Amino acid sequence: MRWFRFAIFVTVVAVLLASGLLNIIALPPGDSIPNLLLILLVFFAIHSNTTNAIITSFVIGFAADISIGSTMGALTISFGLFGTALAYLHRVIAIRKIHYQAFAIFITAFMALTLAHFLALLRGRSPASNVYSDILGTALYSAVVGPIFFLLAAWLMRIKTHRFGRR
Amino acid sequence: MARKLYRAHSPKRENTSLRSISRPMLFTWFMLTGLILLFAPQNLTNDLQFAFARVFRWPLTIGKNISLYARTRQPAPGENFDEKSRYENHIVNLQQQLRRQQEEIIELTRLRVRFPALENAGLLMADVIQPSINEKRSELTINRGQNDGLKEGLFVLGDNSIIGKISDVSPLAAKVTLFTDPASRIAVRIGNLNVDRLMQGRGKDEAKIRLLPAKYKISVGDKVLTRKTPGFLDASMIIGVVSRCKRDDRNPSMWDITVKPVCDIERLNSITVIIMNPQK
Repeated sequence: MRWFRFAIFVTVVAVLLASGLLNIIALPPGDSIPNLLLILLVFFAIHSNTTNAIITSFVIGFAADISIGSTMGALTISFGLFGTALAYLHRVIAIRKIHYQAFAIFITAFMALTLAHFLALLRGRSPASNVYSDILGTALYSAVVGPIFFLLAAWLMRIKTHRFGRR
Repeated sequence: MARKLYRAHSPKRENTSLRSISRPMLFTWFMLTGLILLFAPQNLTNDLQFAFARVFRWPLTIGKNISLYARTRQPAPGENFDEKSRYENHIVNLQQQLRRQQEEIIELTRLRVRFPALENAGLLMADVIQPSINEKRSELTINRGQNDGLKEGLFVLGDNSIIGKISDVSPLAAKVTLFTDPASRIAVRIGNLNVDRLMQGRGKDEAKIRLLPAKYKISVGDKVLTRKTPGFLDASMIIGVVSRCKRDDRNPSMWDITVKPVCDIERLNSITVIIMNPQK
């Protein structure tokens, strides 16, 4: 694992999300944008070994918290939890085909964002309207964009995606 | 075979330092860190977000401007070229205005003329570093903080209307919780009615006023004003406008009123903070 490259990549993606630049490609009705950090979470969960996947999941969660999070810690916990779960799941079921990867992104995004929402409520954050449609929109959009973003991530991280296996 | 190949290409040094830590232990430590972050006092954890916004201020501002520019360029139905170029020119003019300190002073002086009640108030202009406006939260991060005399609870003006309050302050930056944020609750009154009610944000671009008896006559377009708050705001000021008004589903004897901002908050590049009785 190239940790320095990973740190730069995650920082760039976090800044990109926080700057609102992705609003250019926002889709109606809820102005949903793909959550690139979530896509990265799934990418590293299925292309790294389990130990690295645990570390990357929490680091990406922390990056999401400081850049786009409303309640500190909520995304760290939910990304870490579901990233780890996905890494362990990948040891049993290989997620190789593009549509499996898109499905993995959708499920992980939906569950991680829902858990983060509940953790934020636990911390005393007031519930917003249309949260679930917003989460659903983000999960769907991320699932569509994810496999394409995987190619960029694999090229930048010099990971040969056709050679991965269950680790 | 594939696994052998992978191993042959994998660097040997990988995981040597992590080998001593078991995966469950690693997971537990990270989870504990997450829980500490979640339950730590918010003013401490907010410093991390402020630090991020400060360190990456330039890319964040550039990203915001590009996004704003691109969205302005999208042709709306029926929009013609003249309108488009007029808006573009307007944005350029606004950006130039922001860069010129003399014009800031003129603007602040104008504000005082428009609102005589703010005569004794300090008005502090600030640039928006990072807007976070979505369903879950509606906040702005601004480039002024404790060092400029900001504190929690101060009202914030945008385009001559109240848009929210300062909610968190660090030495060099502050967060403005917009009145549309789900966590925001501001005492308001509608038009000329002499009744105060709490307005709660609903995310994105609207807020709700509930528990107002249906005997009061409310109509779409009525102005919503903030209540006078001694020490923070010495006069009622406009905060929004009634955009929808219907009977409450749960209690038909009450109104369910939806309020919209009177300015386009997402497009604000600078805001003004009202500091009542500033310390000289």
